[in-house]
Amino acid sequence: MAYQAEISRENPTCILFVIDQSGSMDEISEAGRSKAAFVADVLNKTLYTLVTSCSKSDGVRNYFDVGVIAYAGSQVRSGFGGALSGDIVHPIHAISEHTLRVEERKKKVDDGAGGIVELKTKFPVWFDPKSEGGTPMRAALGRTIETVSGWCEQHPRSYPPTILHVTDGQSTDGAPEEMADGLRQISTKDGQALLFNLHVNTAAGLEIVFPTAEADLNDEYSRMLFRMSSPLPAHLAKFAGDKGYAITDGSRGFIFNGDPQCVVDFFEIGTRPRLVADR
Amino acid sequence: MRPADSRSKSRLPLAFSVPKREDQHNEDSFQRSAKGVYALSDGASVSFDSASWARILVRRYTRDPEFTREWLSAAIAEFRKLYDRDSLPWMQQASFDKGSFASLLGVRIADGGRAIQVLSVGDSLAVLCDGDRIKATFPLSTAAEFSASPQLICTNPTHNTFLDKLDFAYDLVADWTFRGLEQPALLCMTDALGHWLLSQRDRDSSPISVLRRLRTPGAFARFVQEERAAGRMKRDDTTLIALW
Repeated sequence: MAYQAEISRENPTCILFVIDQSGSMDEISEAGRSKAAFVADVLNKTLYTLVTSCSKSDGVRNYFDVGVIAYAGSQVRSGFGGALSGDIVHPIHAISEHTLRVEERKKKVDDGAGGIVELKTKFPVWFDPKSEGGTPMRAALGRTIETVSGWCEQHPRSYPPTILHVTDGQSTDGAPEEMADGLRQISTKDGQALLFNLHVNTAAGLEIVFPTAEADLNDEYSRMLFRMSSPLPAHLAKFAGDKGYAITDGSRGFIFNGDPQCVVDFFEIGTRPRLVADR
Repeated sequence: MRPADSRSKSRLPLAFSVPKREDQHNEDSFQRSAKGVYALSDGASVSFDSASWARILVRRYTRDPEFTREWLSAAIAEFRKLYDRDSLPWMQQASFDKGSFASLLGVRIADGGRAIQVLSVGDSLAVLCDGDRIKATFPLSTAAEFSASPQLICTNPTHNTFLDKLDFAYDLVADWTFRGLEQPALLCMTDALGHWLLSQRDRDSSPISVLRRLRTPGAFARFVQEERAAGRMKRDDTTLIALW
């Protein structure tokens, strides 16, 4: 059966975020924030959660290799800055060590004795919002294929890569579907790479979440994104179901017109393999 | 409960533990007191410092086996003193805040086994045997139950809210006795061995008889390695306390 490999330091898995930074991502939502700012915030929190899940008192264990591909205008590049900008994928311990900055935030927590205390908490930032130019989705998926192919050759026994693609518009450099098809054909011995697509919108109430059939969708663009998306493996389908989504056999890892809550859930469900790491 | 009767037949306690991998730290912990109290804890690998948390739990339990909310708060306070949170790098501070998780299995044997009280939080397993027969298990009774995520005790109190819904003396405790058993024995084990035992219980060769033959750390380690290699036992820290 596919998607059963234990995630360990010997056999880490790969999580790759492919982020649309085109000009339309600057559209402001009802909450007063741009789509780009919201996606950047969720991505930073997701990276924070991934690093935290690998951190022990004696250091950060490399259960994950993580990459960010950002695309906008004529550019497809690493979404990381600074020391991480040279390559797409990095071991999670390297990501933990190379933040853009570490901010100090405050949070209220249970003090264990029935009260609440305010704690100062260090919060790392890797990714700042950007939005400019067109949407070179085809080129971005081409770069993703190169990245994922190389990773799978080096990790043939690992849980296969998970690619979370976030976009708000149509490709401006040609049809991306055949690139997505090629990407999903890349595999390790544990199964094919998983490509999940999130189309973001600023308005709530229009979303189509984890659909099962093309007929559920209204236009050719959304139907294409559906075809580009992998079915949810059983453990992710169960997790999505536990979060309250209506999941049936064959539900795809695809959200169309996703509102901010969908964005948060998409990232959480897509990075769920962290929780099957060994106890 | 009254302390164990010193005139009663003493049982040979054996305790063995094997790490997940030879080059990795074993995050299981176990301890016993001279008063017939035994404790076992399985620290969850994917958490900040579960090995220290497991050690604190078993040490405190063998000194004071009255598990209450105040008991747990004191254990958490002891753990928190191990680290200066504000000076930790962000990734360790985040993991420290998230918490360290561990099971706790505690056993009190009084009156030479006439009264046995088992306390369990999580998926470590106690087994009451008569000869090669399993008479009772606690808190799980089938191998399939090990596939669910266990509720473990955490150093972050927000993850212990599941305990708020429980009556500790009723929901977390089983009362057993050796009385009426011809060849009584009590076993305590962490989840990899517990799953193995319950998945093998209907085999012709009783898993209890297999465990009964293991009398040295070397024999236990070889048994674990063989069962892992055969795919019958999950690769995890594996601990057994046996009172034959």
